[in-house]
Amino acid sequence: MRESQIARGDGVIGDAPILQLRDVVKDFGGVRAVDRCSLDVEEGAITGLIGPNGAGKTTLFNLVSGAIRPTSGEIRFGGRRIDGMMMHETFALGLTRTFQIPREMKRMTVLDNLMLVPAPQAGERLWASWLTPWRVSREERRIESQAVDVLKLVNLSHLANEYAGNLSGGQKKLLEFGRTLMAEPRMVLLDEPGAGVNRTLLRELSANILQASVERDITFVIIEHDMRFIMTMCDPIIAMANGAVVTKGTPTQVRQDPRVLESYLGGSQVGAA
Amino acid sequence: MEIAGIVSYSVGFAVMAGIYAVFALGLNVHWGFTGLFNIGIAGFFALGAYTSALLTTQPPDPALFEEFKFGGNWSQLGFLDLGVDLWFFLGLAAAAAACGVIALAVGFVTLRLRDDYLAMATLGIAETVRLFFLNEEWVANGSKGLYRIPKFLGEWVSPERYDYLYLVVILVVLGALFLAVERAVKSPWGRVLRAIREDETAAEASGKDVFRFKLQAFILGAVIMGIGGALFAHNVRFLSPLTFDPLLATFVIWAMLMVGGSGNNRGAILGAFVVWGIWTGTQFLPGVFSDPNLRFLAIGVLIVAVILVRPGGILGEERRVARPAEGQAAPS
Repeated sequence: MRESQIARGDGVIGDAPILQLRDVVKDFGGVRAVDRCSLDVEEGAITGLIGPNGAGKTTLFNLVSGAIRPTSGEIRFGGRRIDGMMMHETFALGLTRTFQIPREMKRMTVLDNLMLVPAPQAGERLWASWLTPWRVSREERRIESQAVDVLKLVNLSHLANEYAGNLSGGQKKLLEFGRTLMAEPRMVLLDEPGAGVNRTLLRELSANILQASVERDITFVIIEHDMRFIMTMCDPIIAMANGAVVTKGTPTQVRQDPRVLESYLGGSQVGAA
Repeated sequence: MEIAGIVSYSVGFAVMAGIYAVFALGLNVHWGFTGLFNIGIAGFFALGAYTSALLTTQPPDPALFEEFKFGGNWSQLGFLDLGVDLWFFLGLAAAAAACGVIALAVGFVTLRLRDDYLAMATLGIAETVRLFFLNEEWVANGSKGLYRIPKFLGEWVSPERYDYLYLVVILVVLGALFLAVERAVKSPWGRVLRAIREDETAAEASGKDVFRFKLQAFILGAVIMGIGGALFAHNVRFLSPLTFDPLLATFVIWAMLMVGGSGNNRGAILGAFVVWGIWTGTQFLPGVFSDPNLRFLAIGVLIVAVILVRPGGILGEERRVARPAEGQAAPS
């Protein structure tokens, strides 16, 4: 248990927020993708993020991770302002993410894709390979055994030396998840981790997420359209529509909230119009 | 006599191919490993060549040259009076440093932007450098060219045998650069470069300061090209801005890397020898076939043929294969 975990007794979860968004706005030209969005993510929780297509979920991930900058508003991670930071800077603070469409390094092996991640690596200095090669190879052996363990966890061991570009869609999703485990994150943003992953693997993925949450004390935020997955995995759940939070609560509360249903139906009507 | 001629020609050929191999190695750091689209190799080529040449050549005779004033006169520098020329290494170092500084400045401005901006910027530098040496006659005698550039260890052997000596010099420098680059790109540093080449956003999401690594790679490649330029200057011993036209100083080097195998250092060197062999070999063809334009066409056809038959080049990039760990199946 971290020190910051303070029971708040609000019935949802008893931890202090690790991530706070206040009035975050993101405009793309004339389109407002995120509209004065404010939310808290409690440390240690597995938070679900749902909403119809175009609700602004992935844009929210992009804003939090630092892939894009908000038009206005404030984002805090562990109490620190992170809006305007680059992705490698939020990564250094312990915030990692996956992508909805997997972004693997195609012409690098699966193992290399994972070994890339741990930071900081002494061998990433240009001089290191010339001046202290022995130190680099010692570090490499350590990182490689870590990567081999992660590969076992995500069931990709047999593909360790395969180019990541040759993996199937589902396997790439698992590789994305594996990449977040190679870091030592405080919080992981998973963007549709289950898309294209078959049922059996999805169950294992759920188990891995739960295990990482409990054993490694990682906070998760998960975007997922598979409702069974999200309702069993996540508590609390945040529902978004039109760039803002509709409601936040336990799976039961969210499922029974008429506004959530309306946002899905309303969204489809707008789509049909 | 025939055989002696062929041997002598081959040695001269190997010297030039070896110099081009240095450039191909530098381009491999830029494009092959990091995906930096540098289409202004000629700029670093010229800068390296002129830097070393100007610093080592003796000052011009004021009676013969009105405007041309420069000349570093380092060529007098000996090493402990043993007759070993020290200036050569200082020239190489200065050429490398000049290119490194320019790469730092240009990279700092353009590497945060999209890839196409780097292409434009490098093309711009190449033209700027060439026009600078063309128009500023007081620096390097303008279009009349800079000559009497000193030979490294020129007193050691007779002029007819000099190529043999210089070939050894080239091979030593090329070998050292090859080992240095090979080490660097196979290290975690090189892994980050390859990740950037594959997907910048994903590399950034994996916690890598993409800009910093791109800048380092850009500088390293430019430094290698600067050394190549200096080696070139002390081989041909005459430089004029015309030497650095985009076809021979940029395009041919790209052809070498594409043919040999982008992302493979052995491939870069092999490509330099193959393409330079075709380029110089075709001049012996009879009649119209030795026309320079047709020779460029031949290089173009070669690139297309290699891309169709072996898209990765003759050698192609090696896949880094890990030692199979326990319980881990062999790669399929």
